Amino acid sequence: MPLAFLIAIPLAGAAATFLGRRRVFFEFVYCAGAGAALLASVLLAGRVLAGGPVSFLNGFLFADALSALVTLLTSFVWAVTAPYTAGHLRGRQPLEEGQTELGIRDVRLYYTLSHLFVFTLLAVPLTGNLGLMWVALEGATLASVFLVAFYGKPTSLEAAWKYAILGGVGLSMALFGTILTYYAAYEATGVDTWEALNWPFLIAASPQFNPLVMRLAFILVLLGYGTKAGLAPMHTWKPDAYSEAPVPAAAMMATVMLNCALYGLGRFYLLSARATGPAMPSKLLILFGLLSIGVATPFILVQKSYRRLLAYSSIDHCGIIALSLGFGGPLGSLGSVLHMTYHSLAKPVLFFCAGNAQQHTGEDSLRKTAGGLIHVLPASGAAFFAAVLAVTGTPPFPLFLSEFTVLRAGFAQGYGWASGAAIALLVLIFAGMFAHVSRLMLGPAPDLPAGDRNGWTVYPLAPVLLLLLALTFWMPAPLSSLLAQAAALLEVKP
Amino acid sequence: MPLWSDPLFGQTMITLMAAAVLVLQITLVAQKSLVASIRVFGVQSFLLAGIAGTIGWFTGAGHIYVAAALTLLLKALLLPTILLRLVEKIQIEHEMRPLLNVPISVLISGLLTLLAYAVAEPLQHGMSYGGPAALGHNTLPVAVALFLTGFFLMANRRKALSQVLALLSLENGLFLGAISLTYGMPMIVEIGVFFDVIVAVLVLAILVGRIREAFDSMDVTRLSRLRG
Repeated sequence: MPLAFLIAIPLAGAAATFLGRRRVFFEFVYCAGAGAALLASVLLAGRVLAGGPVSFLNGFLFADALSALVTLLTSFVWAVTAPYTAGHLRGRQPLEEGQTELGIRDVRLYYTLSHLFVFTLLAVPLTGNLGLMWVALEGATLASVFLVAFYGKPTSLEAAWKYAILGGVGLSMALFGTILTYYAAYEATGVDTWEALNWPFLIAASPQFNPLVMRLAFILVLLGYGTKAGLAPMHTWKPDAYSEAPVPAAAMMATVMLNCALYGLGRFYLLSARATGPAMPSKLLILFGLLSIGVATPFILVQKSYRRLLAYSSIDHCGIIALSLGFGGPLGSLGSVLHMTYHSLAKPVLFFCAGNAQQHTGEDSLRKTAGGLIHVLPASGAAFFAAVLAVTGTPPFPLFLSEFTVLRAGFAQGYGWASGAAIALLVLIFAGMFAHVSRLMLGPAPDLPAGDRNGWTVYPLAPVLLLLLALTFWMPAPLSSLLAQAAALLEVKP
Repeated sequence: MPLWSDPLFGQTMITLMAAAVLVLQITLVAQKSLVASIRVFGVQSFLLAGIAGTIGWFTGAGHIYVAAALTLLLKALLLPTILLRLVEKIQIEHEMRPLLNVPISVLISGLLTLLAYAVAEPLQHGMSYGGPAALGHNTLPVAVALFLTGFFLMANRRKALSQVLALLSLENGLFLGAISLTYGMPMIVEIGVFFDVIVAVLVLAILVGRIREAFDSMDVTRLSRLRG
């Protein structure tokens, strides 16, 4: 039941918003929905921890520790983003022809689409059926295409078009992979109802699947969901989409949608690793993971826009999680869920700060913006520094711990060369990001009025960063057992 | 045995229709006119519905009929109508000007078809032939060929609408793959997939309209402001 309730929250929110008339009402519905969803996913995680996997309507909805974790992260990011969204949309908007304010219809459109986007993103981890998971991810793409095109400028349309076409191609590959998986299950067991794509059934039957079919299926799903997650070389839509979408939507895409795509990839990785042996899928994941980190590095070093900088940073983190999944073993699977968790906590803050800076200066170029923004944006500036330190894996932030776990997993599993290369690239990324942000924030005070007056765009920053810091030193027992159980599910056991 | 219950007849019909689907895909590659391409796509979807219907008839599985009916309604009738209306409404040039010229494009799609046979052959190795249980299994290479040619078609087109058409023909390949391997996906998944395809086309149609307004052109090679 909590499963159905959780899914219903954003749908009800979308309906209410669509019928509503006033801005305050939209904001209230969005924030209240986020709060309710966070509460429901905490309850769901509690139930999964206490009594094992939960399933509803014959496995139509299903949650084990891994899906409970991804759901929890989704709701958390939503709950953090919701108040920020309210503040951000009331601030100056980068519209065409000198306009800076949104009409009430645009605001309604934004909140309705966001609810639908969240609905699809909650449906991905909460459906137990891999076919429906594909349907949900495609739905997420369609909802977010409109969010990317929201401002209606030529550049946003260009970004939305590239995103829609690349996403469509990627998802069609993933669908082919899903069809092949269904075929493998059908051939091995003779079951031809929709239960043949249900997770508990598939994972139990997977050792008997035809390895040849599963190999092809995994390659297709890796390319498909890899496109959605933004693994190089299918990442090219990402910088455009993240820099053109409204900031809160971009923050959701960079964390929650990335998690969902990697979650789907992880499920297929388990199936094919059990059918073909872990060597082939692991090597492919390591290759794509390393390539993503490698591609992100030069673009981070020479980046001209701080919004695009964040997109390349997200490509880098997506690569780290894929790399960790590929390393495998107890450390590798733990590293991937830990990194996914910490990244989802830290990344939204970075997007919020970038959004505040862009709203205040009206510019997202690192070249054109005068430095010294910390003088006019004391809160956002400080948080920007802290968040950059966090996402580049600097102690005392917990991403250091998760990256350390990932790299150790590489050495432990005999992929020392991959870990070594990753270390070198991560150091370069740290240098690049820190240099860019220092140029933006430090220096003599610019000729701008004092900012950070828009309360709701500032309030979410400090609590999230403090929570992140607290997690380095103290991990609550239920969260740590949820993470451990999710990691155990991602580990390939013959 | 009357002809309409002889599985061999069904097999022959399916093979024939699959061959026609492949020919139509290559026609799509060679075709320069946008309106004609949309019609070719409609006929291709119609034949796919025919293949699905034939398999449904000989295997007696009810859910394949639903898939066939959905294909007929949505892909053979509704989508071509929407796209033709769109072409009329935004008054775009009807000629598509692909990046590579027609002879080279056809040659490449021929090579992709060969590749498709090479990829599909080992997958078919364990499958049985003959009898109603194996209907349509020999269309798998055609499905893979449609899929690969669809990719090539997307890369080879400049105009936004013709890219949408290529994506749709690629999805036709997926549908053929699904019915030739497993007689279609399970019902609920099938409906979800169809729903998504329809919404995707609507989304793309809206985008095409707005791109046309903003750029006064549908040439996607002009969408090149965002770099780095």
